[in-house]
Parts: sequence; C-alpha cells; structure tokens
Amino acid sequence: MPVAPSLYNAAVKRPWLMRMLKPLASWYANAAGYRQMGLRADDLIVEENETVLKALGRLSPKESYDRVYRIRRATQLSLQHKLLPKSEWTKPEEDIAYLSPILEQMAIESKEKAALDTLTVLKKH
Amino acid sequence: MICRQALSRGSQLALRRQGAAKLAQRGFAAVASPKASYEPTTIAGVKVASRDDNGPTTRLAVVAKAGTRYEPLPGLTVGLEEYAFKSTQKRSALRITREVELLGGQLNAYHTREALVIQANFLRDDLPYFTELLAEVVSQTRYTTHEYHEEVEHVIHAKQAKLDAAAVALDAAHAVAFHTGLGAPLYPTASTPISSYLNENSVAAFAEAAYTKANIAVVADGASETGLSKWIEPFFKAVPTQSQSSLSTSASKYYGGEQRIARIAGNSLVIAFPGAALGANQPEIAVLVGLLGGESTIKWSPGFSLLSNATAAAPGATAKATNFAYSDAGLLTIQINGPAAAVRKAAEESVKALKAVAEGGISKENLVKAIAKSKFNLLSGSEVSGTGLVHAGANLIHGGQPLQVAETVKALEGVNADKLKAAAKTLLGGKASVAAVGDLHVLPFAEELGLKI
Repeated sequence: MPVAPSLYNAAVKRPWLMRMLKPLASWYANAAGYRQMGLRADDLIVEENETVLKALGRLSPKESYDRVYRIRRATQLSLQHKLLPKSEWTKPEEDIAYLSPILEQMAIESKEKAALDTLTVLKKH
Repeated sequence: MICRQALSRGSQLALRRQGAAKLAQRGFAAVASPKASYEPTTIAGVKVASRDDNGPTTRLAVVAKAGTRYEPLPGLTVGLEEYAFKSTQKRSALRITREVELLGGQLNAYHTREALVIQANFLRDDLPYFTELLAEVVSQTRYTTHEYHEEVEHVIHAKQAKLDAAAVALDAAHAVAFHTGLGAPLYPTASTPISSYLNENSVAAFAEAAYTKANIAVVADGASETGLSKWIEPFFKAVPTQSQSSLSTSASKYYGGEQRIARIAGNSLVIAFPGAALGANQPEIAVLVGLLGGESTIKWSPGFSLLSNATAAAPGATAKATNFAYSDAGLLTIQINGPAAAVRKAAEESVKALKAVAEGGISKENLVKAIAKSKFNLLSGSEVSGTGLVHAGANLIHGGQPLQVAETVKALEGVNADKLKAAAKTLLGGKASVAAVGDLHVLPFAEELGLKI
C-alpha cells in the first residue's frame, strides 16, 4: 500500500455518497492544519523509505524544488509557532496529488514484478 | 479405450519427424538458389523483405532509416536504440523481457550509420507474438522520463566508456571523409556534448519522424510468407504512414583529409579511400578487400593476404581491410591496431603493398584467392544473417532492391587483374582519409606514408 487507505474510489462511484462525504472531507482537510502552513497533502507522505525516495527522484525539477520550498517554509513556521497569513494558505484547488500517482504507478510495477517472479509455466506439450 | 490426447500426440510427433527429415535433406544449400536472396514485397503499406529456409528459428527485424546519418541532433539514434523494448502503452519493459524469456526469444537493438535495427530472434511458431511486439515498440513506446534517467542514460554512459581506439579512429576517418551525415560518429564519445540535445522529449520527437511506414522496412529471415502477410497487416496498422517532420537527407560527398587524436590507451590507424556503395556495380572493390584481407582464416597462422604479410614485419599489429557500403557512398578502410611502433611499421608496409598492386598488378594465384575470399565474405555475410538482414533492410528503406546474391557472385568472378590494378590506381590517385588515434609521437602522418590528402 503506497499511500494511506482511502474511501475515495468507492465514494466516486456513488454520487450520493460523494455529496454526503464531500463537506466532511473538506472540513477535515482544513482542520488537519497542513494547508495553514502552505503544504499539500502529498508533502505529508513519509519519505524515509526506498519506494518514496525513488518516486521523489521521478519528480520534475520544478515539482521537486517547490516541494522542498514548501517543506522548509513549514519547518520554519513550526519553529516560530506561527501560521502563514491567510492569503498564503494552500487553497483546496491547489492541494493536488503530485506524488501519490507516481507511488501508485510504482506499486503496480512491483505487483507485476512479484506476479512475474512467482508465475507457473504451463507447458502446452 | 484410447484417449484422444495420446492419438493426437502420435500424429504431432510424426509431423515433427517429417519436418526434421526435411531439414536434414536440405544439406548443402545451393548457393545460387533464389532462397539465398531476400524477396521484397509490400504488405499493407509496409516494405517487407523475407527469406524462408524452413529452419526452426526466425529472425525478424524492423530496420528504420534512423541511423546516425539521419539524426537531427547528436546522440538521438543512440537514445532511440536504448529506448527499444522499454515500456509501451500496453505493457511494461519488465513484462516484455519476461515474456520473451518464457518464449525463448532474444531481443536486440543496434544501429549502423544509416539504419536503426530492432531485432528479435525466436522459434518459428512465435511469429505473431514477436510481430506484435516489434510493431508495439515502433508505434507505442512511451519514452518516459524516469526510464531515461534510471536506465537509458546509464547504459549510454557505460557504452561510451567501452569505446576503444579502433572505434574512435573509424569514426574520425568517416568524419574527415564525409564531414556531416555519414561523418557523424557511430557512437558519441564521452567527450561529445550530447546532454543538451538528448532527452526523452527529443528522442520521442525523433521516433515520431523516424518510425513511419515510409521510413521502415520489416526484414524476416526464416518466416513463412503467409504468416507475414497475415500478421504484419493488423499489427503495423498503428504505424503512421508519414510524419509531419521529415528527416533531412543530403547526398554524401567525399572530402578526404587527416585527423589525429591523442589517446592514452590503445593505438589505431585508419587509412580510408572512397569505396563501393550498396548496390553499386563495383565488384573490383570487393575483390580488392579480399586481396588485402588481413583477418586470418587459418588457425595459428597470420594468413597469406597482403595485409597479413604486411603485419608479419610488425609483431603485435593487426590489419584488416573492410568496405563500408552505404546507400550512396562507400568507404574502403584499412584499419591497423596494436602497439604504436608496430602500427607505424604495419601502416608503411600496407601502403607499400597497395602501391605494388596499383603498379605491378597481382599474380594469377593471388587473384583466384582474392575472388574466392570475396565470394566467401559475401555469402557468409548474407547467410549467417546479421549483415544480410541489415543490408536487405537498408536497401529497402533507401528504395533499392535487396542484394541479389547469385548476380553479385557472377560479377565477382568476372573481375580480372587489370580491373583490380586500375581500381587500386584510382584509390591511390584520389584523396585518402587518414585517422590516427593513440600515441601521436610515433604514429605516422599521411604524407609520411606517401598518401595524398
């Protein structure tokens, strides 16, 4: 599991559920507090493991630079016990997943590798 | 009660034995049989050359007009070559490798100065799978950024580190002989600035221009015609007929000159003259190559060709004559490798030998030997696949016909001593291209060798 388990896919398939959960999810994301420090949800993924490090290596130079900038700014804010001015908070539309798609891709790759490593050959003759 | 499987098993075995008997019957392949040449056809807009000797294995290749001659920026051919069999829209690179392993096939991608070859060798029955795979590689490779940084780049650096003095000298000789186009290095050296030109986007753009139906040929050795016509049509449908950006081509022109490159490890000297182009009617050049020879065909002996005799005086040096044939030009080279002093001595002796041919002609015995050698070079080259496959494809993408083995052999037999003498005289009379790589203090200048540049 590359990222935290999520009900998102199940909810997307059921519009009524999506309508019910959306306000709750938005409230939760804002209440989690990372947006007030200018971070994105994907900045919170723990990077101390091989898979995530490799995925970080696959980011474009611009994305990588921006990520480091956001994290350094958040560290500084944490040190000073401050929040960003409200105008600089991460807006919901800016909070896009830039790392988890790569992690999901890599999970598919490793799953495929495991499947190929353990396959059984059935001879036709 | 007899189970059905047992019955069918017996018939399968019987069929297989029949096939094996047929194989055994073939015995000595007749040289002049039409099977020796590739037959050109067009299947669904794709140029196809095929030859079927009913063997148990097949070699299928896509030959694209995307060699170093046609690359718009340095290094793109090499990048495209390394991207072959990487992940496509349909499957990952890993899956391709594992599936091919399971089928017992071999995948290979390489390039010459004019053609980029993506080749698969496999068991005869697996034709549909590999036809699909090659078409997929050509039309649906994804050219991802991470594969470029994690794999392609590293392989290119590793191959650059392996380039030896001989490869550098040959590239330098081509560069002075043809300047641009054919003069582009076959493999960019580590000191060539390619990083600003080579990235996944430029490779993808080059692929878009290079992999079109007009620009590729499918060459099959050992595949049935019915199989090819059945499978090429559906799988190569996705390959575009033409692309918006076409590759630039300018006719090759021979310049000649001298280039000297200092190098710590290895010494190599290349003496080159304008040679015979692909499909050119110049059998005397092929016979001259056979006469000069160089590579011994006998174990534990340097051989008796002119270059072998030349290197006898210079122990440690090896000399070899080759005619590099391209679509509109050729380059006849004598390459000498070895310790610097030996290379110098061998070069002097080689030029002396060539001059002797130009002035005094050659003995009848040597002529017979040279013709036999050139015939062998031609036939073994076209039979042991490798060169035959590439030549057939290269001829097709340049609008020519595949090599007609029987006719060419006849032409070789028609060469006489006078023709050979005239050919050697023309070579020495024109401008030579000389490239020296290694210890320049010892390696000779072209003028010292008595060559015009």
